[in-house]
This record gives sequence, structure tokens and C-alpha cells, in this order.
Amino acid sequence: MNPYLPQPYTILEFRRESPDTFTLTIDLKKRHSPGQFVQVSVPGIGEAPISICSDSRSYVKLNIREIGNVTRALAKSKKGGKIWIRGPYGKGYPMKALEGKNLVLIGGGCGVAPLKGVIDYIEHHRSKYRDIHLFLGYRSPEEILFKKELREWKKNYRLEVTIDQNQHGAFCYDAKVGFVTEAINAAVLDPHKSAAFLCGPPVMMKASIDLLKQKGFQEDQIFISAERLMYCALGVCCHCMIRGKFTCVDGPVFRYDEIGAFTHD
Amino acid sequence: MVLYRLEKKRLGELIGRLMLDAEVIAPVKKDVVRFLPIAHPEEIHLERNAFFPAKEYFFPQHQTLFQFDGKSFAPVIPKPKKRVFFGLRRCDLTAIRHQDLAFEEVKDPYYETMRKSALLIGYHCPKAPSPYCFCGSLPQIEFFDLMFFDQQTGFLVETGSEKGEQIVREHPELFALTDLPKPDTKIPGADRLHVENIAPLYDHPDWKKGADQCLSCGACTALCPTCYCFEIHDEVSTANPDAGKRSRSWSSCQLPGFTRVAGDHVFRKERDHRFKHRIFHQLEYFKEKHGVPLCVGCGRCIEACPTRIDFVKLLNEMKT
Repeated sequence: MNPYLPQPYTILEFRRESPDTFTLTIDLKKRHSPGQFVQVSVPGIGEAPISICSDSRSYVKLNIREIGNVTRALAKSKKGGKIWIRGPYGKGYPMKALEGKNLVLIGGGCGVAPLKGVIDYIEHHRSKYRDIHLFLGYRSPEEILFKKELREWKKNYRLEVTIDQNQHGAFCYDAKVGFVTEAINAAVLDPHKSAAFLCGPPVMMKASIDLLKQKGFQEDQIFISAERLMYCALGVCCHCMIRGKFTCVDGPVFRYDEIGAFTHD
Repeated sequence: MVLYRLEKKRLGELIGRLMLDAEVIAPVKKDVVRFLPIAHPEEIHLERNAFFPAKEYFFPQHQTLFQFDGKSFAPVIPKPKKRVFFGLRRCDLTAIRHQDLAFEEVKDPYYETMRKSALLIGYHCPKAPSPYCFCGSLPQIEFFDLMFFDQQTGFLVETGSEKGEQIVREHPELFALTDLPKPDTKIPGADRLHVENIAPLYDHPDWKKGADQCLSCGACTALCPTCYCFEIHDEVSTANPDAGKRSRSWSSCQLPGFTRVAGDHVFRKERDHRFKHRIFHQLEYFKEKHGVPLCVGCGRCIEACPTRIDFVKLLNEMKT
């Protein structure tokens, strides 16, 4: 089996999520765990790693931001169309090992996508986890993702949505204006029997980790999902290496103490 | 381990016979010494090590992985070509083994096909061929089909595999069994790296000293016999934008684009972070995964550097 060979799948749904993101539902029926990703190909343009934002045996959902060549080309996908994929790849969040714990989920921008996979998983195994606290930060009300799901999450979990600014006074789903770190700072978090999952821009993750540590979280209670340039997704091309660990096979979810200062390594 | 003796004057005869059913690739002196397919045994140049390693024969600088036409992806696996590599120094042989470790892990069919059909004949350096050599400071492995030790009038030939034994068996009139002892495999003048464990040096300020002279040209990684990083890109024809090929090419961790993600964020933006990453991958990270350092001590990255950044000297001078 050629490990670089993508396979064709069908797009079951195309949903516009925000002005520059969309969510594809794909008939990929392979087992996956929250935090894993797939390599999506657009022949002639290239491949891009996209994290899975669902938890199902009968499909995968990919929330994609139009930011590079491949993702801009994918934005032209249509329901019923074909998509080339290999994977799923990587190690996701250690959901099994963290059963019985409180979970704090901190996401920034399109970093909320892999956490949505975690939330779906939690919904399917709700009794196995204690308090769930979600901190989701966006730059503006327009960029808020998974608006449909937000109402459900608000009912079931402790949910804080922040937006950096709301210049036009748009409807913003009860989001507070300010950085996500301000919401974390103001919240009462019990580090005992807890773990925190983070995914977002490096600066936001670094600041959030500092706050979590101030609140008594140890580095081995913090799990981050790293974003890196990658080509092979198999652990050989080396572009995604962080201190000798491959984001594609050893990650993309790492326990924070395993990779240290991930912002420049 | 069995040792044979081959008269120096009969080397040409052996190579000529090997050329009958295989492409023989050996160091040849052109603009610089390179591994090239030879047409005559006299082209073989053993005075200096090749400026370029042999890695391009297993892991080409550019290689097509697939052809696509809008409906399917068709793998383009290279046809195995019977090749004999002659004159590989110990560092280059070890480098091939280390690249094997990296590509074996993912069962890379492109690399595997090129490697499988190659016979490796080594040439033991009588002394360090370059002032930058430091293979003696790193673990040495015995990895060859045949190894040639240069003696006054002849070669002592050690067999290292069944494939190597077979060559000897096929040419009994050229190889004479000998009971001479195996020569010392230590290469004089090749043990200039004095730091065994670089892990404690991670936060040392002197990485900047080396990086300050770096022009980010990527010569070090291109000439390294072990560097195996690559990128994958698609190309399409202008006539039919649905058809094209997906290829991989060497890439260099010394260039800022190596860690650039969509949205233009670069993780290893500073030269010292990139320089340190290269040396740590070579001496530390690969060892954590595979038990051996990736670097083989050939010194090419230093010799080829336009500003001669000597990381061995730099490491030796770093005080913890």
C-alpha cells in the first residue's frame, strides 16, 4: 500500500460557517479520535492537513478556513462532489485516560474546530466526564463558528465566548468583548482532577497556559494541539518536527511538558 | 567475517566485469568529485571523498510520486535498476543505513525500490580525507556488501553480506582468501568532536555565534548524506489543468519557509533556532527515535558552507 496515495470520498454536505470558513461532511467511515486530522488533496494544488471536528462512525466533518491555496480551492467544493483524502492521522486528545475528570477547553478562532470534535465525543460519553468548561475566543462576531451548536453547548456546559471587538454592534451570541484570556482569568477553575485542552494561535495558547499555571494547573494537565507545516503526515518529511517529536505522528495533540516552548521550536 | 586479497592492478578487471550487468557508480573527478555512472574503470577517483554524497541515487532531489488526470492518482514507482556503488566511505555507508531507518519506518515504496537493487562496496579511508571529518567521534557501524582496505599493492576485501560473498564467489580468480588480520577500522585524524551529549547545550547562548554567519543558503542540508527532509508539490500542464503530477523534492530546515504555515506564521523564524534545530536533529532527536545519531561525521556541511560555520568547533567550545 502506497502511504502517500489519497482516496476519493463523497462530500455529503457543504455548510458555510463564517465569512472565511466552511464545514464539509464527508462519507469517510474510518475510526478516528478527537484531535486527529486528515490530509486533504486538491489535485494540481496540493495537500493540507485538516483536523476532524466531529465524532462519528459514519462520516467526518472538516471545518476549513480559506487561508492557503488548498483551502481556497476546497471552498469551491459542492455537495455530492469528490474529495481526495488520506488518513486519519496522528494522536488525538487522551479521552480515555481523562475519564472522571473536569475538562477545560480553550479554543481560539479556527482552533475551535478540533475542540468541537472533543465536544461531540463528550456528548456521546457524557457520564464519563465531570464539569466541562468551554472558553472560545474569536476576533469578531462574524467569525464565531458552530453557531447552531452554540445554543446546545450553552445549555449543557459552562460556556464563555469572547470576541476581541464588536465594532458594528452585531449580534454576537452572548459573547463578551475582550480576549479569551480575560474570561479564563475571571473564571473559577479547580485544577484538582482537571485537564485543559488548548487549540489556537500560538500567542493565545502561550498566554492561556501561563494563566492556567497561575491557577494551579501543572504542565502535565495541559494538552495542546499544535499546528505545523507538514507534507507526508507519516513521520518522515520532518517539516512538522517540534523538538524531535513529529506533530503528524506523535501529535498533533501533545502534553505540554513533552514539547516545552513550542512557539519557536 | 572473511578477508580476501585483490591485486590493485586487477581492480579494473573486477569493475569491468561488474559493469557487464550493472551500472557501476563511483567517485569521478569532474568540476568536483561526484558519484557518477562510469564508462571505464580508470575514471574511479579514490584520493578524495566525493563532494556530493550518493543519496540522490536513492532519494532524488526531485521525484514524481503520482500522476493524476482528474479521475485517479497513479503511483509512479521507479524501475529498479541494478546498480553497484563502488568507493563509498564508511561515513557514506552509515549515512545510507540511517536514511534506510527513516524511510523504512513509513515503508516508502519509492526509496525502497531504489535501495533494494543496490550493491554497496566501501572504501576504507586510509586517513581522514578532509580536515572537517569527525566520523571517529560518532558510533561506527559495519554496513556494506564489500569493504576495500587500501594496502600497498593490493586491497584487503572484507565481505559484509551474502550479496558481497556472491561477488567473491563469482570471480574466484580475482579474490584470494587470506588469513591476514582485519586492519584497524579507526581512521586517523577523524575524531575532532569532543562533545558526546549535546542535550544540556540547548539553551546555550553560543548557537547565535554560528547562526550569525549563516546566509540561509541550504548548502549544508543539500550536501548532507543523511538529511532526508522533503516537501511535496503538485504541477499541472497548461493544456489540461486536471492532469499533472505530484512530486517530492529535498527541502532545507535552514530556510525560513520550512516551518511556514498558512497565514504566514513561521515557527523557526530566527537563524539560531534553525541552526540549532539542524544540529539537534542530527545529533540528538534521531538518536531518541532510532538509537543512533543521524550525523555520520563526513564534514560536508562544514566544507560546503560559504562562511565555514564549523558546528563541531562551536560545540567543542560551548561550556556548560
